[in-house]
Amino acid sequence: MKPNEIPPGTLNLLILKTLGRYGEMHGYEVAESILHASDDVLAVEEGSLYPALQRMLLKGWVSAEWGVTVGNRRARYYRLTAAGRKQLAQELSQFDRIYGAIARVVEVG
Amino acid sequence: MGQLLRRLRMLFHRGRFNAELEEEMRLHLELREQKNLDAGLAVDAAHREAHRSFGNATVIREKSYSTWGWLESFVQDVTYGVRSMLRSPGLTAVALLSLALGIGANTAIFSFLDVLLLRSLPVRNPSQLVVLGEGGELGQTDRYGSTDLYSYPFYRQFQQKQQVFSDVATLFSYNPDIHGTIDRRDQMQPISADLVSGTFFSTLGVEPALGRLFTDADDNTEGNHPVVVISYNWWQTVFSGDPGILNHTVKLGDTTFNIVGVAPPGFFGIFVGHAPDLWAPMSMMSAMPLHFRGYKDNFSQSNLILARLKPGISREQAEANTNVLYQQIVRGFPDANLNAYNLRHLDEAHVSLTSLKTGLSALRHRFSDPLKILMGITALVLLIACVNIANLLLARSTTRVREFAVRQALGAQRLRLIRQLLTESLVLAIAGGLAGIVIAIVADRFLLRMISGGPDVDLIPLDVSLDLRLLLFTLAATIGTAVLFGIIPALRASRIEVTEALKDGRGSSNTVTRSPLGKVLVVAQVSISLVLTVAAVLFLRSLVNLTKVDTGFNRQGVLRLDIDASVTGLKSEDPRLLAMFQQIEKKVSALPGVQSASIASFFFAQGTWNGNINVPGATYDDHVYVRHNVIDNDYFRTMQIPLLAGRTFGTQDSTTSHRVAIISESVARDLFPASVNPIGRHYFLGKDPNPERDVEVIGLVKDVKFSGLNEPQQFIDYIPNSQHPWGYDGLAVRYTGDFNTIATTVQQTIHSINRTLPITHVTTLDAIVERSITNQRLVAELSAFFGLLAVFLSAIGIYGLMSYIVSRRTNEIGIRMALGAARSSVRWMVMREIARLVVLGIVIGTAISLAAGRLVATMLYGLKPTEPNNLALATATLLVVALVAGYLPARRASRVSPMEALRYE
Repeated sequence: MKPNEIPPGTLNLLILKTLGRYGEMHGYEVAESILHASDDVLAVEEGSLYPALQRMLLKGWVSAEWGVTVGNRRARYYRLTAAGRKQLAQELSQFDRIYGAIARVVEVG
Repeated sequence: MGQLLRRLRMLFHRGRFNAELEEEMRLHLELREQKNLDAGLAVDAAHREAHRSFGNATVIREKSYSTWGWLESFVQDVTYGVRSMLRSPGLTAVALLSLALGIGANTAIFSFLDVLLLRSLPVRNPSQLVVLGEGGELGQTDRYGSTDLYSYPFYRQFQQKQQVFSDVATLFSYNPDIHGTIDRRDQMQPISADLVSGTFFSTLGVEPALGRLFTDADDNTEGNHPVVVISYNWWQTVFSGDPGILNHTVKLGDTTFNIVGVAPPGFFGIFVGHAPDLWAPMSMMSAMPLHFRGYKDNFSQSNLILARLKPGISREQAEANTNVLYQQIVRGFPDANLNAYNLRHLDEAHVSLTSLKTGLSALRHRFSDPLKILMGITALVLLIACVNIANLLLARSTTRVREFAVRQALGAQRLRLIRQLLTESLVLAIAGGLAGIVIAIVADRFLLRMISGGPDVDLIPLDVSLDLRLLLFTLAATIGTAVLFGIIPALRASRIEVTEALKDGRGSSNTVTRSPLGKVLVVAQVSISLVLTVAAVLFLRSLVNLTKVDTGFNRQGVLRLDIDASVTGLKSEDPRLLAMFQQIEKKVSALPGVQSASIASFFFAQGTWNGNINVPGATYDDHVYVRHNVIDNDYFRTMQIPLLAGRTFGTQDSTTSHRVAIISESVARDLFPASVNPIGRHYFLGKDPNPERDVEVIGLVKDVKFSGLNEPQQFIDYIPNSQHPWGYDGLAVRYTGDFNTIATTVQQTIHSINRTLPITHVTTLDAIVERSITNQRLVAELSAFFGLLAVFLSAIGIYGLMSYIVSRRTNEIGIRMALGAARSSVRWMVMREIARLVVLGIVIGTAISLAAGRLVATMLYGLKPTEPNNLALATATLLVVALVAGYLPARRASRVSPMEALRYE
């Protein structure tokens, strides 16, 4: 793993969580938000958001609608669906379990 | 479910999807760039940084597509494939045509193999069904130890005593054409009727479409069950599916039968290629027009026995039980003649059980070898077509090297490129497959016509229409070919040194110009073509040999027809019937344009009546059979078979005079004591010296062919109809003049004697002889056609490869010519290349042909598969075609103007 690269499989979690917190966002905002919230530590290859978002659209976790940005530009806004919320809860508890376990192992030393 | 819907919606709005993704990504990049500018970066640095942090846009685009899965990318590839196919219409047309012919021919041949060899009977659980013996013998025999044919009393005892079968049934093994009337109508109508036991339908496990089928009670007492079950097809065609069918009757001979039921659609019994119109119970056999005897005769063996294995009983167990019962029942008959000779035959008899899963068929024996050979030939043609297309695609993919290099450089995945190329092949193959199905439908009709014996004959009832299994076969063939011809070019095209290919102009990348793979493919094509050409030469020469065979009789100028005299209800020995036939012969002979006319039991290729003969003074051999032919006085004159000694039959040979016979020269030479004049000597028909079957030889005639042109010399003797009435006869008329006129007047003359007599099979003797070599003709003509097709495809392959090589070497050729090379030496340089490949292909093909020759040896007449002149002929044909195909590009190369060639790139 290169420095600051996010662990595999967590990109979904990050996107879902971000959308969960802020409600409605377009792609760039999601990327910015992840960077900002992680104090620029988590370097997502920004483009990879888009295939991930497509996957979530396909699975029905998010829905998308075209809207207008503050700068008066057309943008696609994503929001969580009910299925997306359920998925988020599931991934969070999964995350807690794994990282809780890792933390316990690391702290014992 | 929701996912699939979303996938489909995506598929239909693909254009919008692309635009939206592009817009979204552009917005992202612009916002990022703006932010970088705000952070104080220079304009170009801000731009660069935005793209860097975004990642490879092509990869992201492709990943976004692939999210939507195979469906999306497949449709995309297909559209791309169709477009790129249309860009080179010539190549596409050749590829499609060869594929369509290849796949179509394979499907057509397979549909016949399927119906004759593979398809299960349309009955319940056919794999449980067996037939006693091998099921290969049809007719009647009184031989002890017969394990294919059984008497009806044997069947009854076996049915009661056996413990291994859940059901046992029997049916009469032969079914001559008969005529009858429907509902007391006047019109005689040909009817195909099978005699079966009451258990026949229940053993096969079929249910009636209407009414009832037979029960065991329908044949438990002789003569009083005038009922028939009719076939679904007959119900539909003759009665137009009348729902009141059960009120109709059919009159056969003197008996009126009630229709009690209709068999289910598609049911034809157990003989593939024989679809009876109706079934009557065995108890009515003597009421049939031919007055079959044997319902109570323990040794009149003319029935096949079929049975359904009990669940849990193996074929071995059943066979053991059957054989114990077989000996017990036959030896237990009160009239069994258990002399040493018959006992020896019984001791040797072993009843094997043969699976009835795919039914029985005389056609199977006749056509399975030709069909297998044709299947092999068409498969090879398809292979050549595949090789050809692979070669063409390979040539095209080399010209597309730059396209793929660009796409790979832009981040396209290799797997994705391979998939796209394979999809293009698949599109080609599917288009070819669809056209192939159309060709197969046409070819099936043509083949059925040929197998049935020509344009003027009733079609054999074989269902060769396309069904699921056939379509699956075609699909498999199609996908197989796509993979076969697509995989190599796809792998090759996608394995590119990107920088190398981009640096390269259109010029002379070495690896590509040499194109070793293309050469291997051409060599393969040439060698397969040679094999097919050799096969075509062999079969054609064999056919020519057959048509030159001396039949022993004069096949020209003879009208043949059959008269079904059974409708008179008279038995064959009835003097009125004999008189009627004599009157017919007399009146027909007197017609203008007719030289002579004679009835006989057999003319040519119509079946046989075989038996042993016992010649006093010569050793008796159980295995020597003589073909008996019952004839009338003018037979030899009509057939123009030369009399070598003695006399022919005449009016002096009557019912009451002493019994006489005429023998063929082979009988006299091989079966009579040597160096004795056979005229005037006596022999016995059959093994036993039974005075009732003693005949005196009064004449000696030349040998003739009896059942087929390719048979070895047969032993034949002739018996006068007056002394052994045959009854229901064929008529031959030697005539001069117009066939149609003679045919009409002959039929009118017969009807003037008895207007109810049905006349069938009106044709010429020559046509019958021709028809007897139908399958040899079929194989010869089709193998010639496919051989030519193979050579043609190879020529295209060679032409394509050479044109390609020449165009790649234009530059080099220009330099050579600028340096003073002569046109002829340039031409030779190119030709040398072709000649090397063709000769190599021919050498390999020769080896394969010699090795494969054994496979077809039994199908050839009058020549051996290894004769060198066959090979020479095939090699010469192929060499000429190949060199012409190669010469054209070579000539073009030599016409290149040096200046032009040097400017060229």
